[in-house]
Amino acid sequence: MSAPLSNVHACQTPEHDVSRRQVLGALAGGATGIGLSRLMDPVVAAEIKRQQKQVLFIWLDGGISQLETWDPKPGTDFGGPFRSIPTALPGVSFGELVPRTAKIADKLTVIRSMSTKDENHSSGVPRVQRGDPKNRGVTYPFLGSAVTKLLGAPSNGLPPYMHIKPGRGGFMWKDAGFLGPKYGALGLGDGKPPIHINRPASLSQQRVARRDALRKKANSRFRQGRLDKFVTAYDYSYEMARQLTRRQDLFDPGTLPAGDSERYGRHPLGRHLLQARRLLEAGVQFVKVTSYHWDTHGDNFNMHREMVPQVDQPFAALINDLETRGMLDHVLVVLMSEFGRTPKINSRCGRDHWPEAWSVMLAGRGIKRGYIAGGTTDNGAWCQETEYDIGHLFHTIFHCLGVDALNTQYVNNGQPLPIAHEEMGVIQEVLA
Amino acid sequence: MTVNAPAAPLDVTKAWLQTTLKHQRQLYCCAFSPDGHSIVAGAQDGTIVLWSLEETAKPILLEGHPTWVSRLAFTPDGKRLVSGDLHGGLIGWDMTATSPQLAWKSPEAHPSVPGVPGWVRSVTISTDGKTAFSAGSDRVVRLWSTADGKSTGSFEGHPGDIFSVAVHPNGQSLVSGDIFGNVRHWDLSTGKLTRTLDCSVLHTRKENFLADVGGVRSLAFDQEGTRLACGGMTDIKSNAFCPGMPAVLVFEWKTGKQQQLLRASKGKADDGPIQGLRFLEDGTLAGKGERLHATCSLEFWNPEDGKVLKAIELSSGYDLDLHPDGRQLGVPVWVANGRAGNGRHTERDKYLPHFGHVQIYRLDEKPADEKKAS
Repeated sequence: MSAPLSNVHACQTPEHDVSRRQVLGALAGGATGIGLSRLMDPVVAAEIKRQQKQVLFIWLDGGISQLETWDPKPGTDFGGPFRSIPTALPGVSFGELVPRTAKIADKLTVIRSMSTKDENHSSGVPRVQRGDPKNRGVTYPFLGSAVTKLLGAPSNGLPPYMHIKPGRGGFMWKDAGFLGPKYGALGLGDGKPPIHINRPASLSQQRVARRDALRKKANSRFRQGRLDKFVTAYDYSYEMARQLTRRQDLFDPGTLPAGDSERYGRHPLGRHLLQARRLLEAGVQFVKVTSYHWDTHGDNFNMHREMVPQVDQPFAALINDLETRGMLDHVLVVLMSEFGRTPKINSRCGRDHWPEAWSVMLAGRGIKRGYIAGGTTDNGAWCQETEYDIGHLFHTIFHCLGVDALNTQYVNNGQPLPIAHEEMGVIQEVLA
Repeated sequence: MTVNAPAAPLDVTKAWLQTTLKHQRQLYCCAFSPDGHSIVAGAQDGTIVLWSLEETAKPILLEGHPTWVSRLAFTPDGKRLVSGDLHGGLIGWDMTATSPQLAWKSPEAHPSVPGVPGWVRSVTISTDGKTAFSAGSDRVVRLWSTADGKSTGSFEGHPGDIFSVAVHPNGQSLVSGDIFGNVRHWDLSTGKLTRTLDCSVLHTRKENFLADVGGVRSLAFDQEGTRLACGGMTDIKSNAFCPGMPAVLVFEWKTGKQQQLLRASKGKADDGPIQGLRFLEDGTLAGKGERLHATCSLEFWNPEDGKVLKAIELSSGYDLDLHPDGRQLGVPVWVANGRAGNGRHTERDKYLPHFGHVQIYRLDEKPADEKKAS
């Protein structure tokens, strides 16, 4: 059951050599409770306090338009029809579609001068989510897998990396790249828990235990003479799901404080970001929330006026909630896409892919509150000041989590690998 | 610059491009003046471009809108032009002078609320020229005095954004079409809702969509008022590219029964919505839509049998207007300025907005001298 992995992965910091198996061993002792009271649970609270490092990664797949949101240029050649509105930051404007976020701009940092390399989704999405390192012939992990590897999973009885997404869930082992499948994400389709999380009443706990013993025995036999990592990943994902059966309260709408659903909105992103807050409160280390269909090549302006409020409402509610709960000091929040959208407006009143100059939103742990990094030209098409690539962003994220990316490496089959692009560094100006 | 007197009988099968009027910014709407001497088009830069069709002088720019001009409509006497914009504003222009003047302005005719911008999406004028009707994102049809811009009423009840309005030729009824495919028939003498025609096929909201897509993007009555055409697209596949099948629903006005579902000449291919519709004097229906996969053309249908009589390939179009002589169609179209699509593909100083042209098509046989010249 505990045969060594065929690949050896370890970053070179002593903090990170906690194996997932050890973590899971501790999970069995996870406390129980319901709803917001989980925050008060001393075991969970102590663990969060000890580590003080959580991430919420909000991914708007396809590319939200920077010009319709965080970097408006009304009245210019490419500005589009929307107005800009003042924010809580003097002299800083956002697009009129984000009034709630504008009111909390003093809690956020916007990087307006992201300039990246890839203008295609198929290559751009994984490239960005892996930090776009130099090609060394290996598949780098997505950010969530990297963070759980580098930080080590907290011992709080919960999977360290959970991914809330539309559609189906399941164990997303490909996220882990060369780290190996066990560093994958537990996907929660539509924010719902894995199926069969509720043990049928007719099935006794003793019977479940006997079944589990039989499963382990079969796994052990199957493992003999085979590559271990996939069986280990299966074991791990099973164990994660089993642990979650003890935390049904995290998915019970009946335990939500009154009014939360209205504040976040009942659309998918509203429900998913509210679920993300619950997972963060419970101590999940890395929560990723994905929203699809932001690739507005057609009818960009009608679509953005319908879709952007679905970000604005729950994002502002979430930031406020994290602050109210004292969590903004240890939760790093990242909101981004794989690129922005073209300043030029195409024949279908759409905007196409634009990696040249676009925006990323940051908040929380280690990040300045109320800051605009970089800027774009008057027409919004180009970075005006220092350009930041995705490698810079990864360095910054790792730095905020206490990992020095210039002096930390993965080791994969003896091959040392930088955890972020070695020719880039931290975006100093956004650091608190 | 153009030919005014109809010398040949109407024949859309022989339609030809007569004039191209060029502007540096994209154009989204156009309207011929009732005397036929000029045409106006609304641009992304907030200007209205006025071209004389009889002289080759530079066009006149009407400046007053703070953002994209969305729709234009003349009073029947040609003395007033009413224009709407995507900040929810309306402007009445005095067109009697040599150089048009701003007569009145209602900047928040369709007001915004935080996070929900007020947009004017459609404007039309009553047959007596006294009332302008505007509609848009506040889901209300609003009535205005064309003389002074004062509000004279409103029709409420649409459950979603309104994209199009049209007045029946008898002057007694107004229709308004919304995102969900509701076409509301309003009695102009009482202000009451008479009936709702079902164009819900022009709206799509699949389970995984983040937005409602489609809507009744264009409306047109035939000249006798016996038919109503409603344009848009069906079977929309996503809320990202927003590709669908261009479609026009034709209703018998008296009974409200759907007579035809018209398709573009290239059938089931994906494309954008039909944004402009006009009936010609012989009952032929002309339509123009947005072009995604090079399938949506300037189409001419026989609404009796639904057959396409003619399809002229041209770029994306966003509106359509018929010249008073009945022999010319104006279409504001998108024209590429450099490469379109993903990424930059050019130097910074050469990265500029795309163009807008108004193309005017004649709907009769090309004169021999024009053939020779071309």
